[in-house]
Amino acid sequence: MNAFFEVFLRAVFLENLALAFFLGMCTFLAVSKQVKTTLTLGIAVIVVETISVPLNNLIFNLLLRQGALDWAGLGQMDFSFLGLLSQIAVIAAMIQILEIVLHRFLPALYQSLGIYLPLLTVNCAILGASLFMVQRDYTFVESVAYGSGAGVGWALAIAALAGLREKMKYSDIPEGLEGLGISFITTGLISLAFMGVAGITF
Amino acid sequence: MSKDSPQKALLIVALTAMICSTLVSAAVVMLRPVQMNNQLLERSRNIMQLTGLLPAGEVPDDEEMLALFKSLDTRVIEISSGRFEHEIDPHTFDKRRAVNDPELGLRIPPDLDVASMGRRSRYAPVYLVWNGDELDRLILPVRGSGMWSMLYGYIAVEDDLSTIAGMSFYEQNETPGLGDQITHEHWLEHWRGRRIFDDHWNVMFRVSEDTVAAGSEAVLYEVDALSGATVTANAVTNLMHYWFGPHGYGPFIETLREQPPTPAGAGS
Amino acid sequence: MSIQQTFSDPLIKENPVTLHVLGICSALAITNSVTSSLIMSVALTTVLVISNMAISLVRHHLPSSVRLIVQITIIASAVTVIDQFLKAYMPDAARTLSVYISLIVTNCIVLGRAEACAMKSGMGVSIMDALGNGLGYSLVLIFVSTIRELMGNGTLMGFRILPLAHEGGWFQENALFLLAPSAFFIIGVMVWGIRSWKPEQKEPADFKPLPMPSEENR
Repeated sequence: MNAFFEVFLRAVFLENLALAFFLGMCTFLAVSKQVKTTLTLGIAVIVVETISVPLNNLIFNLLLRQGALDWAGLGQMDFSFLGLLSQIAVIAAMIQILEIVLHRFLPALYQSLGIYLPLLTVNCAILGASLFMVQRDYTFVESVAYGSGAGVGWALAIAALAGLREKMKYSDIPEGLEGLGISFITTGLISLAFMGVAGITF
Repeated sequence: MSKDSPQKALLIVALTAMICSTLVSAAVVMLRPVQMNNQLLERSRNIMQLTGLLPAGEVPDDEEMLALFKSLDTRVIEISSGRFEHEIDPHTFDKRRAVNDPELGLRIPPDLDVASMGRRSRYAPVYLVWNGDELDRLILPVRGSGMWSMLYGYIAVEDDLSTIAGMSFYEQNETPGLGDQITHEHWLEHWRGRRIFDDHWNVMFRVSEDTVAAGSEAVLYEVDALSGATVTANAVTNLMHYWFGPHGYGPFIETLREQPPTPAGAGS
Repeated sequence: MSIQQTFSDPLIKENPVTLHVLGICSALAITNSVTSSLIMSVALTTVLVISNMAISLVRHHLPSSVRLIVQITIIASAVTVIDQFLKAYMPDAARTLSVYISLIVTNCIVLGRAEACAMKSGMGVSIMDALGNGLGYSLVLIFVSTIRELMGNGTLMGFRILPLAHEGGWFQENALFLLAPSAFFIIGVMVWGIRSWKPEQKEPADFKPLPMPSEENR
């Protein structure tokens, strides 16, 4: 149990995908300016990541890595190079299925997510979580912890940044820096602050 | 077949899948030998640097490097017992893959896991450098969790099995400019001549932030830490303590002390 | 618009990073060395060209239901091949860049240009568009990484330019520039510069503050 929480908390705070690795920034900086929209986006990311990371883990460990196909007598085959293709396909398919499910069972949520859900297919954070999971060779349980933690961390970071942007609308910022420029600088400052928590062990 | 019919969709999807997978697989198959060679070359370079066998000032080219490396006495040991393991081919043994293998690897008990690795391989490749019939140096692979990443390195010890002849970290992903200084020669050169064990064979080596009086005994076992990289420096101390302790190469070092190895793979 | 413009617009006027805010994920994390940035730029431009070419080739035959997945498959295949080439011929770089090369698949520039240009234009235009956007992206990356490597290490592409203080020179490295947040600051200031030079790129204000009541009464 301990390992689960350690991986989860590390993913939320210490190795935050948005603030430490800068993944998923495109979607955020270009699109969301309100805390409400960002929260909905964040929830979508949490759901997609919690499902896609363990799923990718299963596929990688049962089908792709060297020795995985031992049960079929193909133990020496190493299909790990197909990792990227399978991961992105799984993510795209999952998001498509999620769209259909939401449309049928939770239409209000579907409406508020609007265009953001299909846009998640190209969100670096979602693919990034799966890639890191492979690189660090997590077990299935660890990947559940990591997927959910990464999603929660990203959502928290994005919501915090959106809150700051909302507040900054009333500040007197130099003309060329308004909007994109000041968002970049603020995000840089926050991620610098988050580096201070690195090295904390549980 | 109209553009939007399901049959067309299936046809296009099937075609894309076939063409893409052929191209990707072709690329992988053609490039794999080159990649394997690169890995071998890199390992050769990392280890040969520590052997003291490279001609000074001159960097051998790739072929020479590989030839020198292949002529090095490489053996596999079983870490827990400290004995040489003859069944495993040292040149093809993949220690990284062995870590997670249920048979070739084992879980490190949490209270002994000072380097936070979780698991380790049961076996390790070791490299013996001979000077005639006498052992000149022993090179051992080490690793441990750093601040952001796993640190991988090789350490060379002299024939007394305690004095450090050289150290190198060949893979790490620590903070640039701070933690990653552990790969810099100007820090690693301080390791030479330091001792790992005291007279009673306890692991005394550490990377230290304390100032010690020059000439005092503690200096023998310490390397100065890096300012701003405390966590990484502590990680290095931890990995040294694990690997030279009773759950690491401790038994192996003891075996070598009691029964000095002989060249040409005759070790026990 | 002419083929010339297709190529030259993305350099500054329609730069994918500073105006459209696409592709910044990689622009931040790997720009601490000029060599990494160059390799990333070449990798991205190559993927862009291949994907634009392939998609432009099949654009008339793609049913809309599978459009996105086919595009992504083509892009992912191109990225995997490039990754394998890097692992084979530049293993040190491949290790530093690791995940970020694979993340080119989700790089908004690649899919963005596929949708915006390759789906609607012929091969020639698509290729020029790819090259232009790739170059625009590369310019930003090289600019940021030059500053970061110079200030953080005193080197450029591994060659020492500024003599280090602890080796007898005068230059004290600024470790902040080796950390990723510095890329944010540099790009922020870059955007400021570009928008001051070309005011038409500024975002319109969300609202205009009302004048103070006392001013009106005067």
